[in-house]
Amino acid sequence: MIAAQDGHGGAYRRLLGEVSDWLERYFRRRLPADFVDDAVQETLLAVHRRRHTYDPAQPFGPWLAGIARRKWIDALRTMGRQQAEPLPEHLPVEDHRRTVVSATVLSGLLEQLRPAQAKAIALVRLQGYTFEEASRETGLSLSAVKMNVHRGLAKLTTFIERTDDVE
Amino acid sequence: MSNSLLIDRLSAELPPVRRRNPARELAVVASLGALELALVLGVGLMRPDMASMIGSPYMIWKLGSLAILALLGCTLAVRSFVPTASSRKGVTMLMVLAVAVTVFGLIAVPHPSEAASLAERLAPAQGLLCAASIVVLSMPVMAALGWLMRRGAPGNPRKSAFACGLAAGTLGALIFAVCCRFNDPLYIVVWYSIGVATVCTAARALLPRRFRL
Repeated sequence: MIAAQDGHGGAYRRLLGEVSDWLERYFRRRLPADFVDDAVQETLLAVHRRRHTYDPAQPFGPWLAGIARRKWIDALRTMGRQQAEPLPEHLPVEDHRRTVVSATVLSGLLEQLRPAQAKAIALVRLQGYTFEEASRETGLSLSAVKMNVHRGLAKLTTFIERTDDVE
Repeated sequence: MSNSLLIDRLSAELPPVRRRNPARELAVVASLGALELALVLGVGLMRPDMASMIGSPYMIWKLGSLAILALLGCTLAVRSFVPTASSRKGVTMLMVLAVAVTVFGLIAVPHPSEAASLAERLAPAQGLLCAASIVVLSMPVMAALGWLMRRGAPGNPRKSAFACGLAAGTLGALIFAVCCRFNDPLYIVVWYSIGVATVCTAARALLPRRFRL
């Protein structure tokens, strides 16, 4: 990063390559698979825009983790605002294992919420249910499911912002 | 766009960057505060009896506590502009310190008019003017801190914005304190707190808007 701050493009390319791999692992544990690529690229752009704020006297890891955490919170906020889109009937699934182990940290964080909010988020955001399907599954009205997802994600982002280290 | 294509684009023709320097940023904010103070003194707004009052317990408490809060607030704000810093503890400690100096002022600093009523001591008409003056005087510093925050990478923009408001508000109050002719600690506590709180609320609401890392 020090070389990159001085304008060394080759060193920067190698660094961003390693950072990209690390970010993919980081976000895969914290976000549903659909959001991972966007979060990685958003974070790479943030690293690029804010590279002047890195202090060479300090370790690089915590600086990167701080930016990634901020982008994680932004992604959760985006999730809270977006409507779930219905999936097509025949959807090819490439990698079951990756889908199953994804967003483990997010799943763990759901314990911080009320059971109804946690279930609505788990169904709609992690398991790919539509709001209508989640409404039938939980026995709640459609607007109640939407509200639970929205408020639950807002509560989660506040919790993450207040907690220094979430794992 | 794939990650590798994005990386290629970002690393192509990479210009060197000037590293962020917190000491320089702090110096910019301090210089702005000093310039404002010089302007206020230059136009003759300093209270006329300052020479005789400067050594009084009231003035030592007022200027001393505001100077300490402004210094700590500015340091906290500038330190919070990196993703590794957490301003949560700093803001809490600063708030505790503000409450402590406030309580100390109300208990330990004598006020000149023992027989006056609460309304006379608070003088609401002048008090509102004092609070408004603090808000106006804090604007340049808040603008500077907001600009520095946008150039930085705060881990928690809302907390950073609040710290900016606290710093700008206490600095504005410190500058106004050399002009204010009231000698009652209750008056200072109430109206200066309202002025600083207004600046903090405005900073907390305005600075994080459209902020993205």
